[in-house]
Amino acid sequence: MRLLKTGRWITAVGLVLLAGVYVRALAFTPVERFQGPAQKIYYVHVPSAVVAMMAMGLVGLAGILFLLLKDPRFDRFGEASAEVGTAFSVVMLTTGPIWAKPIWGTWWTWDARLTLTLFLFLLFLGYLLLRGAVTDPGLRARYSAVLGICGLVLLPFIHLSVYLFRTLHPQPIVLKPSAPSLPGEMLVTLLMSFLVFVILYVGFVTQRYALSLLREQADHHA
Amino acid sequence: MPENTPYMIAAYVITAVILVGYAVLLYRRTLKP
Amino acid sequence: MLRHAWLLARKDLLVEFRSRTAILSAVVFTVLVLMVFNFGRDPTAVAAVDLAPSILWVTFTFAAMLALNRAFQLELENQALDGLLLAPVSRSSIYLGKLIANLVFVATVEAVGLPLFALFFNVRLLHVLGPLVAVLALATVGFVAVGTLFSAMTARTRFAELLLPVLLLPFMIPPLIWAVLATAALLAGRPLSEVKGWLSFLAAFDIVFVTLAFALFPATVDE
Repeated sequence: MRLLKTGRWITAVGLVLLAGVYVRALAFTPVERFQGPAQKIYYVHVPSAVVAMMAMGLVGLAGILFLLLKDPRFDRFGEASAEVGTAFSVVMLTTGPIWAKPIWGTWWTWDARLTLTLFLFLLFLGYLLLRGAVTDPGLRARYSAVLGICGLVLLPFIHLSVYLFRTLHPQPIVLKPSAPSLPGEMLVTLLMSFLVFVILYVGFVTQRYALSLLREQADHHA
Repeated sequence: MPENTPYMIAAYVITAVILVGYAVLLYRRTLKP
Repeated sequence: MLRHAWLLARKDLLVEFRSRTAILSAVVFTVLVLMVFNFGRDPTAVAAVDLAPSILWVTFTFAAMLALNRAFQLELENQALDGLLLAPVSRSSIYLGKLIANLVFVATVEAVGLPLFALFFNVRLLHVLGPLVAVLALATVGFVAVGTLFSAMTARTRFAELLLPVLLLPFMIPPLIWAVLATAALLAGRPLSEVKGWLSFLAAFDIVFVTLAFALFPATVDE
């Protein structure tokens, strides 16, 4: 199947490029003076978070399009994006605390960023659990669309509540996280990493979509 | 400069494990849907 | 539409209040939690006012979950849902009816819980009763609106009672956070201007999600 082959190639390219980013980030990007080597976790944590959030957004969008146009391709895409998004949010959820521990002195804090990552993961989890619990494909597609849309609409509210909570209750911080303005080489590494993560997202989603398609075809012939 | 290299390594290793792991998972699932 | 919704709500509420099991367990749970927290704390170390908001909202959230779990169960048990869908009643009425029924249920528990809470914990709240009720109302509408929509979906699944809380959790937390913060601010005697912020978030959440739920509900019951 051509779609599958394409997906596999994209993923393969993505993984090779990931190795390249690793080398660049670990060996050829300067170490940040105040945070030390642990700051480099940013180069895998931030892109995975952005891709995870993007994946959720696309799940919601696919839901809207499915309910409006009734095209099952949107449901298949939503399913794929949700599963891939879950993988990236696991990366996000594990690298977050690993970065927090040396920088902030604690594995977890109800800081805006970490809390957001937890929420995102819970939304994905809920979506996948709901799909697992509904057997009828038509029903499953509609329910998933509804949940996906609700999840998408919830995201700005989560941002709101967590960011405001933080300003009222300042966290004890051991070291301040790095400012958004990164020096040149670090920014380049971050952007490269982001590009690679997006490539991986595309490769994964393509394969996962192809898998759904293959399964449906197999069910038809059965 | 703080000495926190182990954390960096842990994060990079876990990321690689998850991403490569998922790639392998997808590959095997699509071999035999 | 409103009339239909009210009739549907009445039907649900009559069943609920006649059997009384759910409302009783919610009230009993409320009393239990209040007692446990009261005996569990050292009054000299922890002021009631500090614990109060969290305790209050734990109990009300439980009451909401109880109501929501049962929301579509009645119809399901008697296959009445199909009948309801065939009736000349708009989908929105069905949703509104369920929403009203659930809200009344939770409101009843809250109406009982709040005075009890003031009594057990010796907390003065009459002076902030107006804003407090507003917080209660807005937060409750928020998660019951989403919960009613979700319960329509989970009702037909296998682990409905387990799935509903899991799905609902991310949607309950923002209104809950705002509600707890607003309650804490009110009980601590903070100026109303501080509380206004939380109230407006709660209101925004409600407007957005009630509208969304109305829009999406038909997708959960139609072909």
